[in-house]
Amino acid sequence: MTETAVNRASLTGGAPPLSLSVEHVDVKYRVYEDQVLNAKELFGRGFRSRRSTVIHAVRDVSFTVEVGEAVGVIGANGSGKSTLLRAIAGLQSVAAGRVLVRGEPHLLGVGAALKPQLSGYRNVMLGGLAMGMERDEVEALVPTVADFSGLGDAMRRPMNTYSSGMRARLAFSIATLQIPDVLLIDEALAVGDRDFRQRSLDRIKQIREDAGTVLMVTHNLSEIRQTCSRCLWMREGELIQDGPVDEVLEAYDQDRAGA
Amino acid sequence: MRRMSTTVEFAQTSELRDIHATDRLGPYLSRMWARRQYTWYVSASELRARQITTVLGNLWHLLNPALSIGVYFLIFGLLLDTTRGVENFMLFLTIGLFIFQYTQRITVTGANSIIGNIGLLKAIRFPRALLPVTSSLTETLTSLPTFAIIYVMAVLTGEQFRWTWLLLPLILAVQFFFNTGTAFISARVTTHFRDTTQILPFIFRLLLYASGVIFAADAYVSPDLKWLFIANPMYCYIELGRWSIMGGSLGESLVLSALAWTVAIFIGGFLWFRAAEERYARD
Repeated sequence: MTETAVNRASLTGGAPPLSLSVEHVDVKYRVYEDQVLNAKELFGRGFRSRRSTVIHAVRDVSFTVEVGEAVGVIGANGSGKSTLLRAIAGLQSVAAGRVLVRGEPHLLGVGAALKPQLSGYRNVMLGGLAMGMERDEVEALVPTVADFSGLGDAMRRPMNTYSSGMRARLAFSIATLQIPDVLLIDEALAVGDRDFRQRSLDRIKQIREDAGTVLMVTHNLSEIRQTCSRCLWMREGELIQDGPVDEVLEAYDQDRAGA
Repeated sequence: MRRMSTTVEFAQTSELRDIHATDRLGPYLSRMWARRQYTWYVSASELRARQITTVLGNLWHLLNPALSIGVYFLIFGLLLDTTRGVENFMLFLTIGLFIFQYTQRITVTGANSIIGNIGLLKAIRFPRALLPVTSSLTETLTSLPTFAIIYVMAVLTGEQFRWTWLLLPLILAVQFFFNTGTAFISARVTTHFRDTTQILPFIFRLLLYASGVIFAADAYVSPDLKWLFIANPMYCYIELGRWSIMGGSLGESLVLSALAWTVAIFIGGFLWFRAAEERYARD
């Protein structure tokens, strides 16, 4: 078990405790431009640092999430959703503000493989052990993973031979080996087939019932309607609206229709 | 449309922790300890993978060092005759080369330990120091047969058994900590400069000649410059190894230098590696 796991039994009575508190978070990162230089430019300037731009991807975003909540995050491409998730996972440093988390966050990205050259089976082992599980514990879960992901014998093949759907299915299974304290899903379900998506959404429901918290970025609005109780809408790095799913989706739709 | 108000209440946050704050040393180490099975599992399966991928498999772990000993013996022992001051040059060379390569292997594998695990780093938060330690353990397991060769070579070349033969594993154990320290350093350096993996072979080639692997430093270097060798940790480990198998005198300064380097590189390397903990998952 992870040493940060919460004693969930104690979390009863009164208002649900917070699982996540994002406080005035700003994220900036530097991107380097890929430029083709001729020989003269290479010697004149190429040895100095490359030209770069600072992207202000998340601007003063604040919200809190209660234990057991599932929150959808919507917004156009490039609105800072993925960056926000990475910042919450602790994988992207923040320029200002802070992120407080109960327990361990787990980020599930698209096309995620821990070690592509290793078999699915070994990836499950690596993931479980890196999360701090016991070896026996992970080994005991392997049949469940093979079954849930529908991979079967493919578990013994290297992950770089998998289709993107297979990769997504295995990555989701690894991320949910244990009930994650905070599961951050970045469009990772999008490549799965309908059947797998349904099973994943069922699993997410189960995670919520076991006091896990889920934050999911998706362009599939029906997934959000089906799973989430709340929705965040982001535009150009800012949090535009935070509220009940129907309300936010309606405003989002109107905005898109207007634009 | 409603703008998000900035007066969100951040109540009851005492049980939460700042995800961007670096763990204090104690919790960090206990998180590493909780994941020790990861280290064992990866080392063992890496070892197995290497055995499967080459036809001769396990045999290569022995053939490779034996061949390199053969090459050096041919060139330096027979053609150039750098055996001045050494009675059993074959054994002298074997010990020198294997102890040297032990550090070299771990440092080179350690250099890839972060950049070769990006997928894992991006998905799961765990103490990053686990990765260089894992490389270090993997290469130690790979090197075990070569350490056995040292004893075999000692017997074959007619060396008399001494009680100090039993000290070699202890010396190698001390060197293990030094090597883990160099793995920490090379792992972080490589995340700053990818080209490190290209440069490392040359650094080690230079060190090979500067560490008295293929010649006895005493016979070639003037006493005024002897301190240069004693200040070189690789020379110290090699000389300690030779002393334990082949006998001879052992300078106090050599032992002290070896221990000081081990402590400095292991602890310093760990702290320096950890100082960049939050950066390792970035592109």
